[in-house]
Amino acid sequence: MNHQGHGPSAVIAGVGASRQGKFPGSTDLSLATEAVLALLEDCGIDKDDIDGLLTMPGTTSRDPAKHYLELGEHLGINPKVAGSLQMGGATCGALVQQAALYVEAGMADAVLCVFGDAAKTGGSRFSAAPGRDPSWKNWGMFGNAANSAMGATRHMALYGTTSEQLGWVAVNGRRNASLNPDAVMRDPITIEDHQNSRWIVEPLHLFDCCLITDGGVAILVTSRQRAKDLRQFPVSLLGMGQGHTLETLARKDWWYLPHQQDCISRAYRMAGLSPSDIDVAQLYDNFTISVLFWLEHAGFCKPGDSGPFVEGGTRIALDGELPLNTAGGNLSESYMQGWLHVVEGVRQMRHGAGVRQVKDAQTCLVTGRGMTLNTASCLILGRD
Amino acid sequence: MNDFTPIPAPSELSAPFWASGLDGVLRLQKCARCSHIRFPLDPICPRCLSSEHEWTALSGRGTVQTFIRFQRAYDPSWEDRVPYVVALIQLEEGPVMISNVVGDGALEVEVDDPVEVVYEHLGTNAALPQFRLIEEK
Repeated sequence: MNHQGHGPSAVIAGVGASRQGKFPGSTDLSLATEAVLALLEDCGIDKDDIDGLLTMPGTTSRDPAKHYLELGEHLGINPKVAGSLQMGGATCGALVQQAALYVEAGMADAVLCVFGDAAKTGGSRFSAAPGRDPSWKNWGMFGNAANSAMGATRHMALYGTTSEQLGWVAVNGRRNASLNPDAVMRDPITIEDHQNSRWIVEPLHLFDCCLITDGGVAILVTSRQRAKDLRQFPVSLLGMGQGHTLETLARKDWWYLPHQQDCISRAYRMAGLSPSDIDVAQLYDNFTISVLFWLEHAGFCKPGDSGPFVEGGTRIALDGELPLNTAGGNLSESYMQGWLHVVEGVRQMRHGAGVRQVKDAQTCLVTGRGMTLNTASCLILGRD
Repeated sequence: MNDFTPIPAPSELSAPFWASGLDGVLRLQKCARCSHIRFPLDPICPRCLSSEHEWTALSGRGTVQTFIRFQRAYDPSWEDRVPYVVALIQLEEGPVMISNVVGDGALEVEVDDPVEVVYEHLGTNAALPQFRLIEEK
């Protein structure tokens, strides 16, 4: 690969994940701690060498803005840099970017990024209504799926996208999860299963929607120099990008998330890469329609063509032209709000994904999005 | 339907919005400096940041940018209404508003269908703006 990139020299040197699923008695802290222990084992860094702590509070966090305080005390860390950020599914990418910039600037050398959430057993509800005053609940607009469903309806009307095509994203995720011993949902599903699953909000079925799970994830960003002393192959950050539409409703074509295209364009530019250079992708799949939008925003197909792109599932399969969500994603692996997408991207770039490994993969695009269609971040991971 | 009470106590910001529909006219905030008509409601204009505005009468017409159908209620106050349609309405004057499509043929609504505002009166100081299809299905 010949890219003329100017991404940071910082690398992802370690990853760790807790058990994923339903664990009565677990807390966001206990799950985050499990993930950190797994990370220490993964890369062999001494806890006391960690000099940065960036966290994402989960839905069950008691005091989200001060989450880093609680977790840092719990882990016995007194870092040079710290903080917490909440941008939903875009948070992980944004924190890895922040960590890389801290390392790049010499403000820290080993920055730990952590997320933990007991969403499943902690009684988190994902059916609240967004909006300010008046709130959207005045018109009966409830739930995280509703915003994405709006986009699905218009995409279907403009381009002829079908529910069955959305179903292929779910079938693909489950097929990959069946090869992932850590995935929560491993029984293969069919398009018929997808079509027969109940409406969450039409046009989205249950199998168009992500899981709700307990779990934790940790990611270590270090200097390339420090990574040499650690166990794992260092994964490069070839490109990084963000994009945000903070004017909910008011931005033209808000339903289509125009900021996501900007987000990925910025990362391509930093990496000196184009869509055809991407070997494997972990695209944020809170809902199946989100993946279709990403495919268009990332330039893997033309606007409107994502339905046919995924139909039949061959292009996006592990041996296809663009292997997609190779660990199962939010839909089938676990709903870690994009954190496991980065972990899987790292494993693919280490060539350590076992039976899910995409042969000779040199680059991986990882995307995340969050809030009320507001936020987006992405990373282009690589091997050099 | 009688126990359907989706409108909260109007705030200082939203009281004119809710009261607007009592005479059947949709009104939104129009910036006194740059004339930008805005939704969602906001104390300042997101375009020029002026805090001066007037409540301007709109045509009440628009098109359905997109919509979703709720087949189940996620809040008890909506149980009597399912199935119902929530839509993004592209108003003639520019803003996109969240609302419902109600009335004849509402469940068969399609993207880009023309609609006009209708009001459901709720109490004496508030009315909920919703939209109905202009053309018969």
